[in-house]
Amino acid sequence: MAGTSQELKDVTIAFDVMGSDHGPEEVVRGAAQLSLEAPHIHALLVGDREVIDAALADTKHRAERISVQHAAEFVGMDEKPGEALARKKHASVSVAAQLVAEGEAQALVSAGNTGAGVLACARHFKLIPGVRRAALAAVYPTRGTRGEKEDPFSLILDVGATVEATAEDLVTFAVMGSAYARIVSRNERPKVALLSNGVEPQKGPPRVVEAHAKLSSLQGINFIGNVEGVDIPKGTVDVIVTDGFVGNVCLKMLEGVHETVVELARYAYKEKLRWRAGLAMLSSGIQRIKDITDWEQYGGAPILGFDRIFIKAHGRSKARAITNAGKVAAKAVAHQLGTSIQEGLPK
Amino acid sequence: MSLPDRIDPRPPRRIYRWDLDKTYLRTDFDSFRDLVRTAFQKAHEKVAVPGASALIKELSENGDSRLCIVSGSPKQMRAVLEEKLKLDGVKWDEFVLKDNVGNLLRGRFRALRGQVGYKLPAILESRVGAPVEAEEVLFGDDAEADAFIYSLYADLIAGRVDERVLTQVLEAGGVYPDDAERVRSAWKRIPIADPVRRIFIHLDRLTPPAHFAPYGPRVVPIFNYFQAALVLLADGHLTAPQVIKIAVEMVQTAGHNIITLSNSFQDLIRRGLPLQHAALALSQALEGPNGLIQAIRPVPDIIAAFTKRLAALGTPPAPPRAQAVDYVSLISHALPRTHKDRKK
Repeated sequence: MAGTSQELKDVTIAFDVMGSDHGPEEVVRGAAQLSLEAPHIHALLVGDREVIDAALADTKHRAERISVQHAAEFVGMDEKPGEALARKKHASVSVAAQLVAEGEAQALVSAGNTGAGVLACARHFKLIPGVRRAALAAVYPTRGTRGEKEDPFSLILDVGATVEATAEDLVTFAVMGSAYARIVSRNERPKVALLSNGVEPQKGPPRVVEAHAKLSSLQGINFIGNVEGVDIPKGTVDVIVTDGFVGNVCLKMLEGVHETVVELARYAYKEKLRWRAGLAMLSSGIQRIKDITDWEQYGGAPILGFDRIFIKAHGRSKARAITNAGKVAAKAVAHQLGTSIQEGLPK
Repeated sequence: MSLPDRIDPRPPRRIYRWDLDKTYLRTDFDSFRDLVRTAFQKAHEKVAVPGASALIKELSENGDSRLCIVSGSPKQMRAVLEEKLKLDGVKWDEFVLKDNVGNLLRGRFRALRGQVGYKLPAILESRVGAPVEAEEVLFGDDAEADAFIYSLYADLIAGRVDERVLTQVLEAGGVYPDDAERVRSAWKRIPIADPVRRIFIHLDRLTPPAHFAPYGPRVVPIFNYFQAALVLLADGHLTAPQVIKIAVEMVQTAGHNIITLSNSFQDLIRRGLPLQHAALALSQALEGPNGLIQAIRPVPDIIAAFTKRLAALGTPPAPPRAQAVDYVSLISHALPRTHKDRKK
């Protein structure tokens, strides 16, 4: 215990235990695993104490690295975030965000309702000076890899927090995404691009053209210009910048394509023996693709722009994804993501 | 002969029984390589579990106590183990080691790994000469069968286990007839009393605490010896300043800090241990002059951390209820683990 904790500064991550698709047990198991793997990370589990205790009692963990904060309520996946948070003053995500704001923990991880998470952060955290709107980032599996860790993901932002972004917002998103990729993927000079309908600088709506001009002259960022939708899965760049409306449509379409391909493969498997044999021959390749596109290894995606770290884990996160989300959050804290973003913003 | 030498020592009021490997010493013998390395380790190379020696020393400070060690290590290691204990400043009254060479020569292969047939007669025989009123606290670990053997020992001398159950357990545990006879013989010589207050199980393997629930609240799985110290403070075996001394040693030598200590405290509260009064005593002791802890961390921070962890839970849970232990159904806990089990 002593060894690693002396090398790395201790950090406490608040986990909103409630409201995810697989239930609190999975989040508790993820945090428990984190307590075994990372001696410098402490988990603060926020949610129904009895449920958490029952799950912990049956799970291998290190009690020295885990504490619990009781929260009697939580926001369900199907609830409207604003209404739910107004009605449930002690919702776990609110309590967790408040604890982070008060310094009891340095970052928040939630696999619950995304809107409630963003709203809770907006209520309890402050925006980084120079940032007008927060951005919700998403990771997308790509053909190419990046950074010291060879992450097979690119970062897309925003995917829904700011529906109509201005040119200034897009510039801010680029700086934030670049700082995050630099820290989390250990990618010294992440390639950043604007998503547009052509690679030429004058392509796209006025705000994209204006952002292009501003980013081209911004120091400290590796801006390579515009990319098109086709470049997202190719992994042409490491950070793709767009507004929340376009980003969300893109992401959902990419998810739809992925699901359709899987369904087609299932159909083919059932339909003809010859097709089944073909798929069987491809099985090792399919497994390799599955490994590469395994989003659980990435843990979650950040909400960027607040003075505190918030990692939004996928609603379907299982323990492994939660563990990794905790590690990502701790890394962002350790490398002072907020300071890094602030330093990169145009003066 | 001087006068004090002729005065009989006072009978022990408290008996502390300790296992050694994985309870007091950090030991790895999950593989043959680990076993060989452990066998050839010198005394100064052996490492104690953080807080263990401090806890033993503080418990002996109170006087009228007896430290009895029963270890599964072979008798051939006595010299090096005794040297290690001396290096740590630990004084013992009884130190029993396993005669594995004897077992090997007699072809008693089950006895090499079996724990029930070794530890149960050893601690029962040790109890034979103890004063009836002497309370006991036992320390073991989750690597082998300590929770089972210690609980069975406690319930045997309290008269809660009858001969029929004992026979079933000894048979299912693969105990050799002569060891079973030693168990019965010692048991019959012990007056019925209920002296065992606590059984601490050091979670060396991080076995989930729920695994020990069938043994009832007397068995307390602990992640570290600060937790044991807190419970012993609540039980009246230690004072708050003594607990602080143990905490300080763990901070100075084992990388513990205010977060790990306060989390350890909250973990016990969440498991229903009645520590509220202990927490109050600890806070009062911290507020007094204590230069050692001041040097590590400002006192208000420590009190605040503990208070926050307590407040975070709302109403503390009710303590678990005492229950009868069904030893026959728990016999699998007492059987030697396979290599596969250990890796889990």
